[in-house]
Amino acid sequence: MKRISIDPITRLEGHGKIDIFLADDGSVANCYFQVPELRGFEKFIEGMPIEEVPRVVSRICGV
Amino acid sequence: MAKFKLASYWASACGGCDVAILDVHEKILDIAAAADIVFWPIALDFKYQDVEAMPDGHIDVTLFHGAVRNSENEHLAHLLRAKSKALVAFGSCAHIGGIPGLANLFTKEEIFKRVYQETPSTVNPENITPQPKVTVAEGDLTIPELYNTVHTLNQVVDVDYYVPGCPPTPKQIWNVVQVIVSGKLPPKGSVIGASEKTQCDECTLKKNGEKKITAFKRIATAQPDPAICFLEQGFLCMGPATRGGCDTRCQLSGVPCRGCYGAPAGVLDQGAKALSAIASIIDAKEEAEVQRIVDQIPDSLRSFNRFGIPASLITRKVL
Repeated sequence: MKRISIDPITRLEGHGKIDIFLADDGSVANCYFQVPELRGFEKFIEGMPIEEVPRVVSRICGV
Repeated sequence: MAKFKLASYWASACGGCDVAILDVHEKILDIAAAADIVFWPIALDFKYQDVEAMPDGHIDVTLFHGAVRNSENEHLAHLLRAKSKALVAFGSCAHIGGIPGLANLFTKEEIFKRVYQETPSTVNPENITPQPKVTVAEGDLTIPELYNTVHTLNQVVDVDYYVPGCPPTPKQIWNVVQVIVSGKLPPKGSVIGASEKTQCDECTLKKNGEKKITAFKRIATAQPDPAICFLEQGFLCMGPATRGGCDTRCQLSGVPCRGCYGAPAGVLDQGAKALSAIASIIDAKEEAEVQRIVDQIPDSLRSFNRFGIPASLITRKVL
């Protein structure tokens, strides 16, 4: 099965990757969008003083 | 004059450094006039295979932002090192670990448990977590392996220059571009686009005199006078332990410095420097009184080491 990999997806914020699988007749058999990154804000923000949070979570996405 | 070849790449980052580059506004046209941009995922459609096809040393300058957090970040760090004559650790994450470096206070397992099981918005009864390789009907899918520890760029590859800041200010970015275009690059290992002084040396807020802290306050529960030194008012500020060069934009916006420009010149560990600076201005003689005052600093670990845990001497939580 033929595969088309788009890596990285460009002109957006963040990281993404797409794998497209083509059937023998050239039609799309399946397509997978993958997110190849994690930073862990959900964990490392825990217990932080509330007034500090805005200047930290603004770094989730700087775009 | 021949154009120089420029690349800009984000590893474990938020994209704010790229936006800061665009924030030079109309001067971006001058950059485009002086440089051939050969790789810049946020703005141009080059793929990793385009970089892999370049001969070694093909790129004159790569601005690498983001920490090294997973196997893809590490691969790109090595790849861009090989393809670049000069590799620049650009912004706090590449320079000292940045906000993503706060993850070094936890293990990968603790982070996965929180993110993929415990968050209120997550429904995951089968406890599915990302795997580096998954086999589906059509073939194998791969994503990078997340590392237990967040690294700075220079912990992974040789780095030529450092541009601090979260993000670097557009004014300083323009200064860096001018240095690159002039070809008069400083000695390898230099910090560029910043100053050799501390934040306090450059801060224009009014200082009344000797700092003597008898109580720490929080901006959540007390109102600082925006014209007066935060530390003198008892608000924790990282100014004494942070390199200058940003025009003290946070302090002039009414919030204390949190240290994104990293340690000042000659200082090895920013958090330790902050601890030393704060300890020296606490006005108490008795140990119990010192303890009472210190206990008023909420979350001192993350406050003294907001941006630089991976670059600190200990680099991560070990126990």
